[in-house]
Amino acid sequence: MFGNKLHVSLYRYNPEEDQFPYMKKYTIDKPDRDIMVLDLLHLLKEEDQSISYRRSCREGVCGSDGMNINGKNGLACITPISSVLKKNKIELRPLPGLPVIRDLVVDMTEFYAQYEKIKPFLQNETTAPEQERLQSPEERDKLDGLYECILCACCSTSCPSFWWNPDKFVGPAALLQAYRFLADSRDLKTEERLNDLSDPFSVYRCHGIMNCVNVCPKGLNPNKAIGEIKSMLHKNKKDIIASDRI
Amino acid sequence: MKGSVIWNLQRYSSLIVLSYVVYVMIFILSFEGEIGFFDWTKFFLSFQMRFLTSIVCVFILIHAFIGLWTVGTDYLTKRTLGFLSNPLSAMADLLRKAYLFLFVVLGLMYLTVILYIIWT
Repeated sequence: MFGNKLHVSLYRYNPEEDQFPYMKKYTIDKPDRDIMVLDLLHLLKEEDQSISYRRSCREGVCGSDGMNINGKNGLACITPISSVLKKNKIELRPLPGLPVIRDLVVDMTEFYAQYEKIKPFLQNETTAPEQERLQSPEERDKLDGLYECILCACCSTSCPSFWWNPDKFVGPAALLQAYRFLADSRDLKTEERLNDLSDPFSVYRCHGIMNCVNVCPKGLNPNKAIGEIKSMLHKNKKDIIASDRI
Repeated sequence: MKGSVIWNLQRYSSLIVLSYVVYVMIFILSFEGEIGFFDWTKFFLSFQMRFLTSIVCVFILIHAFIGLWTVGTDYLTKRTLGFLSNPLSAMADLLRKAYLFLFVVLGLMYLTVILYIIWT
């Protein structure tokens, strides 16, 4: 219906050459089979070697190739072009809200700074047992839907609160990880973790618009985790300290 | 101030304002016959209604303050104004303080006038 050509509009910016970013149009023959957006980028790169983007595992595990595909954030390597194509057109931009280094490559320093802030490691100062710290199956179940995050930043960069305050609002990705450790029965720093999140910005800038849930390529629900953190922040401190002792 | 306090203040203030609206609606809907000027003034000039209206005005102010403060700290920052222009971005802190000052002054003026009207 729309011909056998694929029209790709690609965000281009090379700070050494361009004063401003611009959208460059490419037209290529439509592939015979359905390919991923990352494969499309490879095809374009064969045509224009100067195109820059990140990629690594090409199977949705490393989270390197997060980008904005026809207006929605996603991983290029697991997004089939058939699912995003509109009238044979596709528009590729870098993840929104983060400074662009070149083309589709963004500077993720602010994103990782927030991740570092939530202390993404188990904190337990009690003597370690000989083999491992055990959990009941029920306690382990609480971590499902939390630990699978690959830190691709699709969620945080689709969140307006993170766009406006990336230095103060922790963002959905890091908050999902914050709850991953709050929910972990082996972690004993619940009170300290909650104190670190109790200011008006870290958690409470989330207004629950659920863009994060809409774009997560792993199907996770950071909004639910944020809701759980808010519930914990509203709970009595004594209950939280007691839960650490159990 | 803790985030949870601000969060609670915003939610509970909205519930208080909603309760006030519901209370007034119940008065209007349950009134037998046509409401005249004297019925209306008698209802609103009673001590409990004056007291309730005063409290609600304070909560409207608190609710509005939190909302506008959120808007200011989202959109009047160096980063956000930097999307528009660099000179504007350099003045972001000043603009935000002027904006906060403006709505605090306007809010207090509004509260003073309303309380004056209610109690005189």
